[in-house]
Amino acid sequence: MVSQTSPMLEDAKPESATERIIERAMKIYQNYILRVLLQAVLTVWAVTSFTFILIRLMPGNPIDVLVEQILVQEGISYEEAYARVASSFQFDPDASTLDQYLDWLGDLIRFDLGESITSPGTKVIDEIARFLPWTVFAVGAGLLISFILGIVLGMAMAYYRNSPLDHLLSLFASFITGIPNYIWGLLIVIILGIQFGLFNVGQLRGTYASDVEIGFNYPFISSALAHAALPIITYVISTLGGWMLNMKSSTMSVLNEDYVNVAEARGLRDSRIISAYVGRNAMLPLFTQLTISIGFVLGSGVVIEEIFVYWGLGHYLFASITTRDYTSMQGVFLILTMTVVMANVLADLGYGLLDPRVRVSGEK
Amino acid sequence: MGKMKDDVVLQVDDLSIVYHTIRGDVKATNNVSFELRKGEAMALIGESGSGKTTISLSLIRKLPKNAEVTQGQVLYQRENGEVQDILQLSNRQLREFRWQDCAMVFQGAQNAFNPVLKVSKQFEDTARAHGWSDKKAVRQRSLELLKLVRLDPERVYDAYPHELSGGMKQRTLLALSVLLSPQIVILDEPTTALDILTQRAIIDVLNDMQEKLNFSIIFISHDLSLAAEMADVVATVYAGEIIEIGPVNDMFYESLHPYTFGLLAAVPKLDHEQDVLTSIKGTPPNLINPPSGCKFHPRCRFVLDRCNVDVPALTEDLGSHLAACWNKEAVVEARKEQV
Repeated sequence: MVSQTSPMLEDAKPESATERIIERAMKIYQNYILRVLLQAVLTVWAVTSFTFILIRLMPGNPIDVLVEQILVQEGISYEEAYARVASSFQFDPDASTLDQYLDWLGDLIRFDLGESITSPGTKVIDEIARFLPWTVFAVGAGLLISFILGIVLGMAMAYYRNSPLDHLLSLFASFITGIPNYIWGLLIVIILGIQFGLFNVGQLRGTYASDVEIGFNYPFISSALAHAALPIITYVISTLGGWMLNMKSSTMSVLNEDYVNVAEARGLRDSRIISAYVGRNAMLPLFTQLTISIGFVLGSGVVIEEIFVYWGLGHYLFASITTRDYTSMQGVFLILTMTVVMANVLADLGYGLLDPRVRVSGEK
Repeated sequence: MGKMKDDVVLQVDDLSIVYHTIRGDVKATNNVSFELRKGEAMALIGESGSGKTTISLSLIRKLPKNAEVTQGQVLYQRENGEVQDILQLSNRQLREFRWQDCAMVFQGAQNAFNPVLKVSKQFEDTARAHGWSDKKAVRQRSLELLKLVRLDPERVYDAYPHELSGGMKQRTLLALSVLLSPQIVILDEPTTALDILTQRAIIDVLNDMQEKLNFSIIFISHDLSLAAEMADVVATVYAGEIIEIGPVNDMFYESLHPYTFGLLAAVPKLDHEQDVLTSIKGTPPNLINPPSGCKFHPRCRFVLDRCNVDVPALTEDLGSHLAACWNKEAVVEARKEQV
């Protein structure tokens, strides 16, 4: 018996150092968290490389854009304008895309996002640090409010299905979902702001009033909330309907589950059944959608922030696109990609906390 | 309402239930009456759609929304002799009545547990809903019960439902059903969807539990062998009516109703070879427009002229053995020939 099996054992044993390394690498790959993180890094690299190429495919480059502007404004000759712009920018439009890419990648590995092309001396990372918190605040608050509101209303629709309340809310949900968010933004500005004069559109530019001091004080917080209110409302309106309709159908299928029936037969209080038996199970599929929608809302933030002149990351990105500020755009796209990928990683890891049935690979 | 015998825990009087549907009213239960004694196990047997489940659901008022109880009462006698009509309980009283006085183990225990909560949490939930929030005491009692149903108590109590097999879930649910020491446990098809060995184990566990905890059982089954093994009293349900009821031996060896007789004949015999399985010809009646007279008459081998006119009553024949039929003599004769 021993002589029969030994050749096979020898085959399976790693013989050389490389094989041992490969085996070790496979073992590491099998570690769930490491694998997820590795996939995340690869995704970020792929997406940012792709956008790197895409933004260079746009017509014009930073110098062309500015030269054109100066030509129109000052009426000097093209050569003069070009020389002026080129000397102030640290950007060589004749360098090959591959060289630019390798430079950028080399810097990126050292966590250096470079300087803005159009405003030399300004670090991209500082600009992002300045604008990102406002976008995170507005998008985060918008999503949180619409998610919670959607879940509550969706459950109410499921509990009172086929009642006038359900019909009314269904209609409402379909209606607000059917209109794109930038239209909502424009409608709010034009109808509520200008036609009815409910607020002063001009005063709501930026993220807070210029005369308040940043810090934990009432004038600053109320001013920040007032400035963020319209973007937040827009995010809420444009995503609420989806949550409501999804939560309704999810709740209705959970209500048919045996365990809800049994919970009622067990004489549990309604509040307990609604929260721990119906709500928690009905929310599971929505949790995955929440992480997907984070990326979606961040992306649509470009337009929304521009409509409300809200100085967040989208506003910065829009400005960068207009001036073809490649490094700034790359920086923003990198952050956006990382946010979306991280949200997905967190959802992957966090889903196990909500649903014990998927908590398998780590433990056993 | 005080006219209940001392040893009776549940008394159903003249209960009728209809389901309102688009096609018309389905008369799912008609003038059903029976008594359940303390510590007794009663089996409701009959085909699918005969109304067994409707009867049992009405006992804890868990009927679907389109159901309406058109008449009758369901009297429940507490251990202190107090009698209540379950159909008249307020919502709060009803919530307390459920599980504490009468637990129901539904068909298909596979999904009876909330998948995101540990078994322990669901035991605690049940106890707390009935005002028992001492977690340690609940744990101790639960572990005892899980042991009684022959499970590894600690492991099961701290497990999530998906970590248990079907048979284990069924037994866990049985343990949960007696957590609050109810007087009545209703079991709806307790062994369906389980393999034959697990079925055996469940039956043993049930017998064991009933002996130790002394509750009354109502169980619903179309498995006649299970009824023979578990029940003290058997009731045959046909078209929403109890058409025969009696002690288990009388029912199996001296059945008086042609339908019960037919059901028993349909069971394959182990002791002699059979080429063709016997069956009752025809299909269960339409309950929106049921047949006149005796509802079984269109399918009955012993049908008489009067059967499609007069409704037979559940009359007393041999002590506690009742059957609703005009032609019991023919059934008795037929059995004699068979033997």
